[in-house]
Amino acid sequence: MKIARLTAGAGIIAVGALVLSGCGNPYQSEVVEGTEITVAYNSGFFHFNDDSGAGNNTANGNVKYMTDTSFAYYNNTPELVRNEDFGSYEKVSDDPLTVEYTITADAVWSDGVPIDETDMLLQWAAISGNVTDAFAPAATTGYNLVTEVPETGDKKITFVYDEPYVDWELVGPIGVSAHGTYALAFPDEYADVQAAYDTYVGSGEEGDLTAYRDAAKKFAEGAKEKVAAAITDGDEEVLAELGAAWNEGYGYTTLPESPAAALTSGAYVIDEIVEDQYITITSNPLYTWGPSPKFEKITVRTITDSTTALQALESGELDIWTGQPTADILELANGIETADVQTAVQASHEHVDLTVNNGGPFDPATYGGDEAKALAVRQAFLKTIPREEIVEKIILPLQADATVRNTHLVSSADPERYPLLSETNGSADYAAVDIEGAKALLAEAGVTGPVEVGFWYPEGNVRRGQEFELISSSAALAGFTLVDESEPDWLFTDPAAVPINNHDATLFAWSQTSLAVGGSDQLYACYEDPLAKGGNYNGYCNEEVTDLLAQLNVTADHDEQTAILEQTEALIWADAVSIPIFQFPGLLVSSDKVSEVKSMPLSPDYFWNFWEWTPVEGDSE
Amino acid sequence: MLTYILRRLGATTLVLLVASFIVYTLTAISQDPLNDLRGSSAPNREELIAFRIEQLRLDLPIPVRYFTWLGGAAKCLVPFVLECDLGRSFSRSYQPVTEAVSTAAASTIQLVTAATIVAIIFGITIGILTALRQYSGFDYTVTFMTFIVYSLPIFWIAVLLKEFGAIRFNEFLNDPVITIPAVLITGAVWGLIIMSILGGSWKRRLISFASAFVAAGGLLFLLGVTGWFERPQIGIIGVILTGIGAAFGVTAISTGLSNRRALYASLITVGVWAALYQPLQFLFFYVPTAWMLLGLAVAAIGIGIGVGVLIGGDGKKETARTAAIVSFITFFVVIVDRVMLVYPDYVDRIPGSGVIATIGSRTPGLQGDMWFQILDGFAHLVLPTIALALVSLAAYTRYSRASLLEVMNQDYVRTARAKGLTERTVVVRHAMRNALIPIATIIAFDIGALIGGAVITETIFAWKGMGALFVDGLDHGDVNLVMGFFLVTGILAVVFNLIADLLYSALDPRIRVS
Repeated sequence: MKIARLTAGAGIIAVGALVLSGCGNPYQSEVVEGTEITVAYNSGFFHFNDDSGAGNNTANGNVKYMTDTSFAYYNNTPELVRNEDFGSYEKVSDDPLTVEYTITADAVWSDGVPIDETDMLLQWAAISGNVTDAFAPAATTGYNLVTEVPETGDKKITFVYDEPYVDWELVGPIGVSAHGTYALAFPDEYADVQAAYDTYVGSGEEGDLTAYRDAAKKFAEGAKEKVAAAITDGDEEVLAELGAAWNEGYGYTTLPESPAAALTSGAYVIDEIVEDQYITITSNPLYTWGPSPKFEKITVRTITDSTTALQALESGELDIWTGQPTADILELANGIETADVQTAVQASHEHVDLTVNNGGPFDPATYGGDEAKALAVRQAFLKTIPREEIVEKIILPLQADATVRNTHLVSSADPERYPLLSETNGSADYAAVDIEGAKALLAEAGVTGPVEVGFWYPEGNVRRGQEFELISSSAALAGFTLVDESEPDWLFTDPAAVPINNHDATLFAWSQTSLAVGGSDQLYACYEDPLAKGGNYNGYCNEEVTDLLAQLNVTADHDEQTAILEQTEALIWADAVSIPIFQFPGLLVSSDKVSEVKSMPLSPDYFWNFWEWTPVEGDSE
Repeated sequence: MLTYILRRLGATTLVLLVASFIVYTLTAISQDPLNDLRGSSAPNREELIAFRIEQLRLDLPIPVRYFTWLGGAAKCLVPFVLECDLGRSFSRSYQPVTEAVSTAAASTIQLVTAATIVAIIFGITIGILTALRQYSGFDYTVTFMTFIVYSLPIFWIAVLLKEFGAIRFNEFLNDPVITIPAVLITGAVWGLIIMSILGGSWKRRLISFASAFVAAGGLLFLLGVTGWFERPQIGIIGVILTGIGAAFGVTAISTGLSNRRALYASLITVGVWAALYQPLQFLFFYVPTAWMLLGLAVAAIGIGIGVGVLIGGDGKKETARTAAIVSFITFFVVIVDRVMLVYPDYVDRIPGSGVIATIGSRTPGLQGDMWFQILDGFAHLVLPTIALALVSLAAYTRYSRASLLEVMNQDYVRTARAKGLTERTVVVRHAMRNALIPIATIIAFDIGALIGGAVITETIFAWKGMGALFVDGLDHGDVNLVMGFFLVTGILAVVFNLIADLLYSALDPRIRVS
């Protein structure tokens, strides 16, 4: 009966808006007027600058992803795809590593001010921390290697790295706007624009909109100059104000009064925010530099409870939801007639680590420094871990095509490297539970009597409790006595309180947020100061691995990277210090009002192809 | 009296101080705020950890952090001069806790207000009815039902409510066909309810069953045939009919139908509203604002009092009271009628989703004037309100039944009966007034608890209020957020406790505070 208003408004916004511009691409907006979609995420929107320490979380990141443009994004393969419609970047030199970014499109912020080199310069200054400490970024990775103020040209910026940086492709220097940040830092200078904006909001007239945009452009010219000057001259006074605005000015939970705090560079602009309930974004009429989205409005609702989300989906209030499946949730989802249920893998993977420096059964020191003996005990223990059984009993009911994960360094979602690495890394030795083999190894090493293993998993986590039971009963067959050392606080991860992990084996998951190849060193490299051990809680140290990982961090060539990964992976397996079990299963449920919803194992999750989401017309009942 | 209040407040402050220290310390040791970062393999993990340690001063011992927090919180005691500082919540992107708490408190109050009012009105009414019909079938049925509802977990009630009250009911609303069995069952259920409430001889029971059966079943059938569910309305005739019903009902309880002046005054106010009905529609159309509604509500009470005073004769006070209540009820019906007018448009404006919502407090991006917003708010509030009200209602029913029964057995009630007072006077004026004293205190205390306690209901209806704030804070080890919650609910609990005590002494002259 309520055949959506789709048909009524099926006209396309800005009919025939074929925009031909100087160097941009011919662009046809495909936004269908009157279409809306409501999607769910488990946490709310709080901060519009997700590069800042305060704003750095996925809920903010998802919204930013849809409202902003980047030089490249991950598809669901996942691999990095360049957004050539917006701009290009290329490595012009290897030594020193020099990368040139150019914005090729006539891209503008949502107030009509061009996106240019000053915006990129501000992003560098804010994140690198090489000009001032006034900015509090979430991470300085990559940017910090560019110590000299980058040279800028017309919509161009050139980064010269002090040392080679492997993930230079993941550095896309575009964040919040320079003139917007300046406006937030010096609101008095922005008063005219603010007044024009207020007039426009009051009237909604086309003329007032133009007036507001003109005022913004006029303001931006001066503002951009001042920002660039402050950065190149190192003007601490201005930078301190800019830093404060960059850190805190973008934190809001209702639509901000100042339009400067919500300037977007991409397909959508912020329309409405209701704290803790939802944020609605609406298509940006100025947007021409990238794939056109189809929905006019996207609402991201905050829903934490899975049942709530699925019932909302059934009643038509929600169109896309993703989460971790349980048997009940999966059944509920499959029971919804209008729902399309996809199972997929998430970015986290479960693994058991063996501690080699705590005087326990896996530490050579226990056997008077006999490395071989400790290795045999570790190998024997890993051979008893029933990985197949865990996957079969715990994961398969939730994800029909679940398999054991056989790599440490790359995700099983990586189509190219995963098959290669799992072939060559020696994981085949642990493919099946081998009690006899384990016993033989122990006998050979001359270890007699039951071996006591202090085993930690997060207390209160039911799934890991079940895994512990399975591992415990299997390991007992080979003569390992597992002692349940579960506690809920992950105390061993605090190097200040517990410099050496007091558990012999630990079970938890690493979550992965990007395909960056670098960064594994903090999990597997040697360390001297326990405070700097990163995530290497089991005290693993293999000089060769450490060197290889360090080398990996500065290797830019894809094939060379693969070769290093292959070697490192094999070494880690040979040392028998850790064993991966499975990749987390995920559930993606979408309603019949939208098509082209696809899962993706990395952040930004299923949002990655928001422009492809297509409204399904017709009778929605 | 004043010294009593001051003394209580002084003791309260001490209790709050000690409690805040305990809560702060317990929260701080119970959960590690860096937990989520420890399992992360993000390249910037160390930086994120360092940032959080610096922001939350995690390098300092807990008591030192507590006193820093207390220093900030103390500024809240001097409003307008110093800026209230309850710290920042890292799990909410370092949002100031004062902001988080005020939004959450507002949404919780929105959520529990209607539920509390509904629970009080229906709980006390049903309790009184069961007490008056003690050991009847009605009493047993209600007792049985209240115990079931009381013992059911609220998350289960909520999930069922969504399934049947929203998803299935919305399907019905999309294609409202009234079947004959539906008519018969509705009639039979209402017949049974009315019959058991009214009681009496078998002949009388049969008559009440039959008339209720015909009335309820017939009404449903009529609504079905006339397409009322697609275009619901009350109309001027409905307003007059409900008004007359209210006039008789309220007068019967308030003064007794034998007080003709009160009855006529009530009927006259209904007449006034009937006359105003048409002109008001223009007002509603051109001035759709909350102030207009508020003004009209005050005017409604004013009309009732005015009419009551004019024709009240000797009993001006009772007449004015009765007429004012009737006038307000009629006003309410007129408003409901106006909101129903936008229903078909509302349905068109929310394509895809059903009318009764299961999540949140409003439809994102709904276009429309105040009437749409009211209807939208109602559609979102109805399920959580029912879920919350059901549970409190069960408790209130039990309390008021027990309380009234106790009073009804007392000597002074027998004396009143022996004097030859009517049953209405005995129950309403003598028994009920005393029976309500303990309930009033329980309710005052309950309201304080409700504001902090709707955790599960909030989660299930995706409604982020105080409860969700607390749970989120606890989950993340976000001490500042938990303390923000504690401060508000702790103060409310203490204040409502005080109110309950004062109320008790005000209602019962035998008790004096000292």
